[in-house]
Amino acid sequence: MTTATETLVGASADFLKRFSPFDQMEPEALDYLSERVLLGFFSKGATILSAEMGQPRHFYIIQRGKVQASQSGDVALTEYASMTLGPGECFPIGAISAGRPSTNTYMALEDSFCFQLPADDFMALMRISPVFHVFCTQYIASLLSQSRQQLQSTFSQRAAEQQTMTTPLGHLIKRDPIFVTPDTSTRSALEKMNEMRIGCMVVADADARPVGILTQSDLLSRIVLPAFDLSRPISDVMTPAPQVLQMTATAYDAALEMATHARRHLLVVDSDDKLRGVVSERDLFSLQRIGLRQIRASIEGADDIESLQHASRDIRQLALNLIAQGIGSEQLTRFISALNDALTRRIITLELGRHELFGVQFCWLAFGSEGRHEQTLSTDQDNGIIFSAPEGERDAIKQKLLAFAKDANDALAACGFPLCKGNIMASNPELCLTLEEWKRRFGAWIREPDPQALLNASIFFDFRVLFGSEKIGDQLRRWLLETARGNSTFLRMMAQNALAVAPPLGRFRDFVVEDDGMIDLKKSGARLFVDVARILSLRSGVEASSTVGRLRQSGQRANMAEEELDAITDGFHFIQLLRLRSQHLDTEHDAPGDNKIDPDTLNELDRRILKEAFRQARKLQLRLKLDYQL
Amino acid sequence: MTWLSRLIPGAHPPVQLAPEIRARLDAWRKLPETALTSQHAETRYVIVNTEASGLDLSKDRLLSVAAIAIEGGLIDPKLAFYQSLEPDPADALTGLLEFIGNSPIVVFNAGFNKRVILNAIERVLDVEPELHCIDLYWLLPALFAERGQSASKLTDWMNALRIETFQRHHALGDGYAIAQLFLATQARGRLLGHSTPQALIELEHARQRLKRPL
Repeated sequence: MTTATETLVGASADFLKRFSPFDQMEPEALDYLSERVLLGFFSKGATILSAEMGQPRHFYIIQRGKVQASQSGDVALTEYASMTLGPGECFPIGAISAGRPSTNTYMALEDSFCFQLPADDFMALMRISPVFHVFCTQYIASLLSQSRQQLQSTFSQRAAEQQTMTTPLGHLIKRDPIFVTPDTSTRSALEKMNEMRIGCMVVADADARPVGILTQSDLLSRIVLPAFDLSRPISDVMTPAPQVLQMTATAYDAALEMATHARRHLLVVDSDDKLRGVVSERDLFSLQRIGLRQIRASIEGADDIESLQHASRDIRQLALNLIAQGIGSEQLTRFISALNDALTRRIITLELGRHELFGVQFCWLAFGSEGRHEQTLSTDQDNGIIFSAPEGERDAIKQKLLAFAKDANDALAACGFPLCKGNIMASNPELCLTLEEWKRRFGAWIREPDPQALLNASIFFDFRVLFGSEKIGDQLRRWLLETARGNSTFLRMMAQNALAVAPPLGRFRDFVVEDDGMIDLKKSGARLFVDVARILSLRSGVEASSTVGRLRQSGQRANMAEEELDAITDGFHFIQLLRLRSQHLDTEHDAPGDNKIDPDTLNELDRRILKEAFRQARKLQLRLKLDYQL
Repeated sequence: MTWLSRLIPGAHPPVQLAPEIRARLDAWRKLPETALTSQHAETRYVIVNTEASGLDLSKDRLLSVAAIAIEGGLIDPKLAFYQSLEPDPADALTGLLEFIGNSPIVVFNAGFNKRVILNAIERVLDVEPELHCIDLYWLLPALFAERGQSASKLTDWMNALRIETFQRHHALGDGYAIAQLFLATQARGRLLGHSTPQALIELEHARQRLKRPL
């Protein structure tokens, strides 16, 4: 470098260092940037960048002057219809990192000088500089949150209610915690409950750390009927190890816990695990009439298919309300999953009452999206059974189980879980197997990964025990992880399979659509994430069955940056949210929900984010490609 | 008008140049003439600026030379030149000529800057190059009439167009300011229909005739 160049580069660096994120940037990255930026000038009123110019060739950092960013299209989609950028601010971030035309038009509001970084150097800078990478990916995340806000305002009449459900539990606690120590006599504990008019009594140790709980509903069965000696300590009659949540958890979290574990009270503890208060379902319902607990209770109390059908409709309605309130896809799918699990368990319990299966050791498995806790509103049932039987009785037991499973499958279908077209159901003799048979079957797919075996693996390896002995399921999981991990050929074939579908990103247009002008958000969206996550989890021995859990855990093991993982999971969640939204809107029109979306009907902001989401999928695929040299 | 420079038999004793310098000068002389009719975006311009010991042409000496190329309407820090005349004036000035190549040069206040450079080149290298020169001193008032009624000095124009540089009164520092002024000049010229080097030169000459007392 000549002295003159050094001087000019130094001058650019001095300028850039006055602004974020360049002030935080690693010295070598700042050098790289300063050496490569070119200075250009734009007269007042000149268009610097617009969609018509195609893929941006430069990334711009304003050196002097003012630039107006205004959105193309006729509706204002973000908080700003137009925004003024000044010295130190840069554009376009999303467009240049995605390699697509800008959706904003950038115009010089006054005579302006801009540093320009060629697009290739921009990509290189993202690789060199973690700081810059975070800056750009957070920008994408901020787009996502804008989209969520926008969704809420679409359903504005509900927005006010929604806010309260994100209240931290710490704010819901109305009075100081009341508790007794474990050695307190049951009589004085009950007297205290009566005196304070509280529905439950918390038992905590000398440091106020909860060790148990006794609720009103326990009184009849544990104290009155057995004529429990009231002079005995309360620790003899309490429920030990009660459910606790942190002060910072939200009302949503509490509602979810209650729905999942059928609890009416949750203990709230501080970061030191000390009891700070009790939150009851009533506290939550006074916030919002979600009816979560009612649905849960109606499922628990249902004695026939008819009332379960009713509960199923309620779950759907609840999901629609939650979508309308702009709740994120992650919580939403967890809600749906928790309630559907409860519904399925109730159906199984009811069917067990009508079948003679006493003493038979079995567990009911959920596969596919249900296995991953990622059900949307239109998910077929995918299920199976693992059972164990003494030699000689195997066939007889299997026949009984099949008859039971047939009824359970039909009952599930009656409650809104359509029968699986591919017959992936527990009533299929091929899918009602002993642990050894399942191992043999999984083992065969792993040893000889032909296309059908790979397809099967992508469905069945996402299993989860929904009812019955968790232990058998855990055994199968551990065996599977060990076996798959040791078979690199299989993993490689899985990877090849996962890369067969590319994200529908176009080179010239935003999206590549199918013949009907639609994008299949399942096939060429969510599945891209799901497939890679499965391989990563098999490879690194991660037991999580949800896609996000798998990505996070295996990503951490592979030392992927937290921000990178956030960007990927944000992308996945956004696609899931779009799926749910389109199903939601479809259902309101009484059409069956499917996973297709017409990108032209999306607003500008959602299109941008969807592109970013697909780009994250592409990034994830690229990682896999490099790992397996494909 | 020919671009190629010619040797002028000077009044001073013949200059002794190292063979290496001679070879470089010969190569420079062989450059083809530049087209003055291409658009700004297709033209390479070179900003030239100097630092001298004072403002008196007859007794002050040239201390250093700086040049910044503008290609495609952009300033690229890699395309910059700066050198002190000492210890080797012949090398410094040959380097400048090589950096300029056959591009039109842009200066501020050519009356002084251009003269001081040409004098030095003539004295040291015994060459009198014919350079196409664009003088912003004349051009800026012609293009930015509304901004700089009273502007004449570089500082005035920097203030009028809100241009900054890293170091004033330094050949490269002021050169960087002039280069930014020229970016604005190009853009403005294009808007007003002066979109080639030729057009800028003509505009400048017209302005000079207008202002010069007859």
